[in-house]
Amino acid sequence: MKLFTNIMDSQFWRSIFRTRLPIKTNLDRSLIIFNSLALHIHPVKVRERAIRFSYTFYLGMITFSLFVVLVITGVLLMLYYQPAVPNAYYNMKDLQYVVSNGMFLRNMHRWAAHLMVITVFLHMLRVFYKGAYQRPREFNWVIGVFLFLLTLLLSYTGYLLPYDQLSYWAVTVGANIVKYVPVVGKKVRFLLLGGNDIGEYTLVRFYVLHCVILPLVMTSLIGLHFWRIRKDGGLY
Amino acid sequence: MEKDKKKVQQKDSGKGSLNRRKFVLAAGNGAIAIAALGSIGVTLDFLAPKVLLELPKRFVIGMLATMQPNSVTFDAEHRLIVFRDKQGYFYALSAVCTHLGCIVEWKETGIPGHPEGVIACPCHGSIFNKTGDVIRGPAPRSLDRFKLYLEDNKVIVDMEETVGEEEMFLKV
Repeated sequence: MKLFTNIMDSQFWRSIFRTRLPIKTNLDRSLIIFNSLALHIHPVKVRERAIRFSYTFYLGMITFSLFVVLVITGVLLMLYYQPAVPNAYYNMKDLQYVVSNGMFLRNMHRWAAHLMVITVFLHMLRVFYKGAYQRPREFNWVIGVFLFLLTLLLSYTGYLLPYDQLSYWAVTVGANIVKYVPVVGKKVRFLLLGGNDIGEYTLVRFYVLHCVILPLVMTSLIGLHFWRIRKDGGLY
Repeated sequence: MEKDKKKVQQKDSGKGSLNRRKFVLAAGNGAIAIAALGSIGVTLDFLAPKVLLELPKRFVIGMLATMQPNSVTFDAEHRLIVFRDKQGYFYALSAVCTHLGCIVEWKETGIPGHPEGVIACPCHGSIFNKTGDVIRGPAPRSLDRFKLYLEDNKVIVDMEETVGEEEMFLKV
């Protein structure tokens, strides 16, 4: 015990963790939250009923956890994947049958993606039925709608990457839907596919969207979404 | 100090009149706006590929003289079946099944009730008649029909232009 106290009182420890131990007062407890980058997104105090399971069903946090799972498994999958024809399909098959634990990773990514769509939807239902979209939280609802759309777009762009028959035709259908947008539809489709048909360029474009652009936008909006919860008065 | 401030404010608040400060501001903002618009334009231009290794959608199928009446030509590369019927009329059907996009095959022997030949999909058993209409499901609609043109005795197809059954014939 003496050793621990000494370590925690050392210059090295104190340069990293500002909060003085032992924690005795409510101020000390607050400071732990304030002084930590990871924790300070939480309020120092919450009402007990606000953290009850039956209040939010923790749906937002479950969704966020799934997003974290998706980022980690996604980055790992990227190590064995090349967005090229015909490599993409073979890489996907290699992930399933050659790479150790590749099947597990791929399925984890896939199921987390499916689950995330479901939990985002349930989260929206919860917010809707509890009237939590009302003033002063209107704008956070709007951000949430964008996050929902981003979730769907991430699913859609990820769908092409295995480059099998299912991917090809699903994206064909999606791209043809885009075509029906008035005036700019055909141009948008051309830019999205990088051509008139699904090909090498489409695969690279969807890969970049799926692995870089959409996750960056998603992460920024998640930050804004969480920050707004606090700024709009937290849970009560 | 106070006096100077007033002076500046007086200079600034000349309503409607263009003084040096306003001019420089407007010129600077204008330049930034033009540069921003330009960069958007250049980026959009960058996003659209200049060279595509795609098959052209409009191309010559063959010479009029070399394609005999009552013949069927299958173009695997373009996924196209070109017919010339007994009267010498041309028409072109997409070889992509309308069900789930498999490539259909021309069956010259036909099936009972359709001795003139049918188009069959190997994947889920859809059968189309010689002019592309569905005989048997699961295909939900007839095969796409493309517009044909005759130029310099060459038969040309435009695969971007689908037409109805009446307009699909190239009468020569």
